[in-house]
Amino acid sequence: MIGFFLKRVLLLIPVFLAVSVIIFMIVHLVPGDPIDNLIQINSSPEQKALLAAKYGLDKPLYHQYLIWLSKAVTGDLGDAIILRRPVADLIALNLPHSLRLGVLALLFSTLVGISAGALSAIYKNSWIDRSTMTLILLGSTVPGFWLGLLLIMIFAVYLGWFPVSGARSWDALILPVLTIGLGGVALVARVTRVAMMETARQDFVMMLHAKGVSPWRIQLRHVLRHALLPVVTILSLRIGWILGGAVTVEFVFARPGLGSLLITSLNQRDYPVVQGSLLMLAVAVMLGTLLGDVVQAAMDPRVRERTK
Amino acid sequence: MYLLSKSLLLSGTILVSAFSLGLAAPAWAQDATFVMPSGDVGAPSYDPIKGTKLNAATSLIYDRMVIQDSDQSFHGQLATSWKSSEDGMSWTFTLRPGVTFHDGESFNASTIVWWVPQFKDTENAFMTDAIEKVDVIDDLTVKFVMKNPDPNLLSNMASVFMGIPSPKAYSEMGANYGVTGAVGSGPFKLASFTIGQETILASNEDYAWASVLSDNQGPPHIKNLTLREISEDSTAFLELRTGGVDMLLSVPTDFLPQLKAESSVDVGSLPGTGIFYMPINTTVTPFDDIKVREAVAFAVNQKEILDNLFGGIGEEAHNFLISSLLAAKVTPALNISYDPERSNMLLESAGWKMGSDGVRVKDGKPLQVALWTQNGTEFKRVTEVIQAQLKAIGVGAEITVFDSATINDQYRKGTEHQLAVRSYSWANADIIDWFFAGSRLGYPNVSMWNDPTAEKLNKIAMTESRTWEERVKNFKAYHEYVLSQFVFAPIYQPVQIYAYSKDKITLPTRIRGTRLQSQTVVDITVN
Repeated sequence: MIGFFLKRVLLLIPVFLAVSVIIFMIVHLVPGDPIDNLIQINSSPEQKALLAAKYGLDKPLYHQYLIWLSKAVTGDLGDAIILRRPVADLIALNLPHSLRLGVLALLFSTLVGISAGALSAIYKNSWIDRSTMTLILLGSTVPGFWLGLLLIMIFAVYLGWFPVSGARSWDALILPVLTIGLGGVALVARVTRVAMMETARQDFVMMLHAKGVSPWRIQLRHVLRHALLPVVTILSLRIGWILGGAVTVEFVFARPGLGSLLITSLNQRDYPVVQGSLLMLAVAVMLGTLLGDVVQAAMDPRVRERTK
Repeated sequence: MYLLSKSLLLSGTILVSAFSLGLAAPAWAQDATFVMPSGDVGAPSYDPIKGTKLNAATSLIYDRMVIQDSDQSFHGQLATSWKSSEDGMSWTFTLRPGVTFHDGESFNASTIVWWVPQFKDTENAFMTDAIEKVDVIDDLTVKFVMKNPDPNLLSNMASVFMGIPSPKAYSEMGANYGVTGAVGSGPFKLASFTIGQETILASNEDYAWASVLSDNQGPPHIKNLTLREISEDSTAFLELRTGGVDMLLSVPTDFLPQLKAESSVDVGSLPGTGIFYMPINTTVTPFDDIKVREAVAFAVNQKEILDNLFGGIGEEAHNFLISSLLAAKVTPALNISYDPERSNMLLESAGWKMGSDGVRVKDGKPLQVALWTQNGTEFKRVTEVIQAQLKAIGVGAEITVFDSATINDQYRKGTEHQLAVRSYSWANADIIDWFFAGSRLGYPNVSMWNDPTAEKLNKIAMTESRTWEERVKNFKAYHEYVLSQFVFAPIYQPVQIYAYSKDKITLPTRIRGTRLQSQTVVDITVN
């Protein structure tokens, strides 16, 4: 198991390097200039050149990349050009907000997704199955931005149950959690449903039926338990997504978080912040994948065998 | 089942823990909540000396030496009077007595002696560049000895970047100044600041030095003021509608019909500080021909845009400056106003003949041009109307939309753009220098205009004016020359729109100042 883990970790190194190059190049090749947001009307072209030199933006791109990467691997993500403080501090300030939102959204999509998937599998091809899956599909295909505004209109404006936006009270979390969570429900529900239906066809389930075990006990105690393996894999892969997936939702609900930080910094071409935030999200996805692999290997010895 | 039960238990525990361990924010006793203009979102600090982006709360924390009214007149705030020498080489300011900072420190001549040199080597250094040194005449009188005359000094002094911080607090907080704390002498004290989220202010109960632009000369009526940052205008509108906030300091024109339909909401406006205009790239064909530039400039129907797109709110723009500036009062014949007959005649004389498809042709080439704009509903709508207006005189225009951060880099290429729809916000005639000086070709000089006569007039206006009157005269001459060369087409002069819950707050009957700032907020009462 340790060998399996080490092999997976080593594989992440080239992935990290490739991702860092892609992030750096995308951020720098997109037209736009952070100095435009720093200079004031009346500043001279010479003042602009001085500012570019001050932030190292006058150096060749490869040089800028090497400086950034060498510092990033030590945990120093540099200083924000516009926001004027260490990028690591900005991320640390915003990460808890995104984590809180993301973890609750993941919990919501897990609980509702597994329940809906199990219900659909147990009552497969019935009206319950069809209506559950149709509802979930509808909820998950609506864009987050639009769904957020729709939920605000219904639950905040017309019903007045929750605040429209902000992060000042616990109930301000409900609508953003629903907006992000609904997107994940469909995925979890579909995987649960398919996995349960496949498990239900296996010999040991037939045996349980033959032994006279009650159908509900078979489904919930045996079939669902076995079907959870792919669900766990899917969920671990979504760890990175729960941080990055909140970008538009944080914007609509005027909440703090990595998404809001990313959008503000992107609009101002604050390169160090955009690079640092994207790298952070990429690392979260990589770690999520690693966790998924490890969990899968721990739960299923065949996975470990295949990688030997 | 065991696994599922365990998951459920774990999920429930995390949920309960999460909610109990700090999801609930402290219950602030708020008296009023305002939403800042969306352009203010993300301002990183309240350091007026080093900051390059400040938000609406800054004017509430800091007082300035002078404050400007919407008619561009100057009034004392921390200075009670001022006088410039005849040669413009010195300025004497008399300071207001009895002013204290939020930390109890006194404001006096030594504050100004400390304050002015702080701008050196900052992005805001140009504001005080012309000041050689500050001499103390007495405890409440200072003299600025100038390197060169700067008739724009008062305008700079009225800028929000000229808010004066407490020297003691500024030195003690060092790099954290403006982020963890900010100490001014304004009507509100900074209680807390979360970047991108909100700023909470508490009234300065010692405040007794409001300018003449305020009715209330004492502490503000609002005791606790929260200023929220909301990027999405729809969200801000819904917050006002549901009573989540009491006032929006800035409202896009698109939201006016919806706001006016709300019985609990009142909408008001202040004169604008900017212009929508269409720069014309003078270095590319066909706009290297002044006749074509003139034709295109006179094809813009300002009234149609004002009435149909903005519901008559705002003003038509006929030159490059906001109408309250004295340098905007140019010779009437130089103003650019819709005249399609003139446009058609000019294009005919330039050799562009009307084609069968409604697009003019010359030497077999159609008069088809690129029309750039940036994302945002207002920009897109204005650009589409301009496209139709150009078509009416036989000019085909293809629209390209860029995001606002990208478009400046595209302009810098210099030869790819022909026409563009842009806007600026700046209440000073030196904006003409910013957008038309030959040293800034590409961006911000999108017109790519580099003309010897213009450069000479620019130099006179920017560096050779000794008094305010002389500066107005020189900028007017520069402005008139710019207009005569048709390097842009004026479109629209927006107003600043605000909206508030009339059940919750009452605004003064007359709102003064160039923006809705401290001079008005101290007068606002909570019902």
